[in-house]
Amino acid sequence: MVKTLGWLTAAALAAGLVMAFGVAPREVTQGNVQRIMYVHVPLILASYVAFVVLAVASLVYLVRRDPAADGVAHASGEVGVMFVGLGIATGSIWGKPTWGTWWTWDARLTSVAILFVMYLGYLLLRGTIDDPERAARYCAVLGIVAALDIPLVHFSVYWWRTLHQPPSLMKPGGFTGSSSILWPLLVNLLAFILLYVYFVARRARLLRAQAEAIA
Amino acid sequence: MPDHWSFVAAAYGLTAAVLLIYWRRLATKEREVEASKRLNAERSREPSITGHPRSEPASRTPLQQNQRPGAPLP
Amino acid sequence: MSYARRALAVAWKDLAVERRSKETLNALVFFSLLLLFVFQFTLGGDRERLAAVLPGVLWLGFVLSALLALGRTFLVEREHDCWEGLLLAPGDKSAIYLGKLAGNLALMLVVEALVLGLFVVFFDIDLGRALPGLLVVVLLGTLGLAAVGTLFAAMTANVRARELLFPVLLLPVQVPVLLATVKATEALLLGEPLGAVGHWVKLLLAADVVYVVVSLLTFDVVLEA
Repeated sequence: MVKTLGWLTAAALAAGLVMAFGVAPREVTQGNVQRIMYVHVPLILASYVAFVVLAVASLVYLVRRDPAADGVAHASGEVGVMFVGLGIATGSIWGKPTWGTWWTWDARLTSVAILFVMYLGYLLLRGTIDDPERAARYCAVLGIVAALDIPLVHFSVYWWRTLHQPPSLMKPGGFTGSSSILWPLLVNLLAFILLYVYFVARRARLLRAQAEAIA
Repeated sequence: MPDHWSFVAAAYGLTAAVLLIYWRRLATKEREVEASKRLNAERSREPSITGHPRSEPASRTPLQQNQRPGAPLP
Repeated sequence: MSYARRALAVAWKDLAVERRSKETLNALVFFSLLLLFVFQFTLGGDRERLAAVLPGVLWLGFVLSALLALGRTFLVEREHDCWEGLLLAPGDKSAIYLGKLAGNLALMLVVEALVLGLFVVFFDIDLGRALPGLLVVVLLGTLGLAAVGTLFAAMTANVRARELLFPVLLLPVQVPVLLATVKATEALLLGEPLGAVGHWVKLLLAADVVYVVVSLLTFDVVLEA
């Protein structure tokens, strides 16, 4: 079943690529560099999915102590950190020619950077605890604390950047609402969510196999 | 505004590279686990060697079986 | 032993240990003096620049001291082989959390008062009307730091690379507290009333509630045998 998912994902990614370069138009103000949006936005949104799943899986683990839930949380954390890191990198690459800078401390970028570091810490905690049961327990607690912290981070950063201060630089990729931009974006979003599911399924299966091999 | 195709290539290239590397790591680790599982299964099927070879008559080689204590070597 | 008495017993024990050895307190005082001197060397001359960065510098001092204090929360238990005793303690282990939290809070507030006092004297700051509001912000912010800090200290107590992992885990999670306290302190020191920073105070209150409740609920899980 994972294999079929893999092929489906590959097909979706291919379709997304074709649409990003074949169907999507050359953007009026930014030119073709705007096409980066078709990987940047899906990566970020898929990582949000990953972190929500991580939070839910952590809660499920704490309640039922099912190693499968821990496996999903672990895998979700890995894929989530990878996606959000790539999202930040692609956003930065997009920002340099359009904003003139690799980075700016506006609300959204700051929030995403904090998210990245928080969940990187989650992976570090996993890496430092050898006992799998303790690692599962501690990471579940951290996963829940991190998830509850996200709205607090969002509001504090947003207020920091907008109160008593004019809104910062214009964000790249203004949505004109035209379907020739929307459809490539949606197809790529679906493709990356499928990729997330595929990676998590495969990684969780590997974790199960590794646990059995030791037992 | 110029097109900055090098930036587009960098973004897509980096994404593809990282995802491919992760995918290959998954495949490698899966093969490792498979290999170690097969090894464990084989080890558990081998007969256990208890100790002195003479305790099991069937495990003696023909040379050993022909030799009697005190008999001169051919 | 009732829940409250157990919590108080833990707090009292920690504070008594601290009062006798003064290890952590000494380290923190020394550290604060060091911070003060370094800031004076770099910023002392330019009063305007100093006034602009003062809220951030003050909270930097508070946070760094907090990391030191919180990181040592379970040091005594670890070093003197009492960790198993904690794990095997009967009843609701969250009482231990509350006791540790109270002890940490007391220690941190003492150090913060000292640091604030030193800053006022050496940088010639006029606290005046800002003081009541400042006390509220400092109290709420310190509670936020200590609440999650105590939980994470328990989680990292017996882990490899503990000293590195503890701040790495704590600081990103504490960004809302850091932002709120610095911005509120900044406004208060500029003479604004507490009402003007009401949204930051509400955020701190919400954060404190979330952190304390979650820590109380999950502390048992962390200290499972």
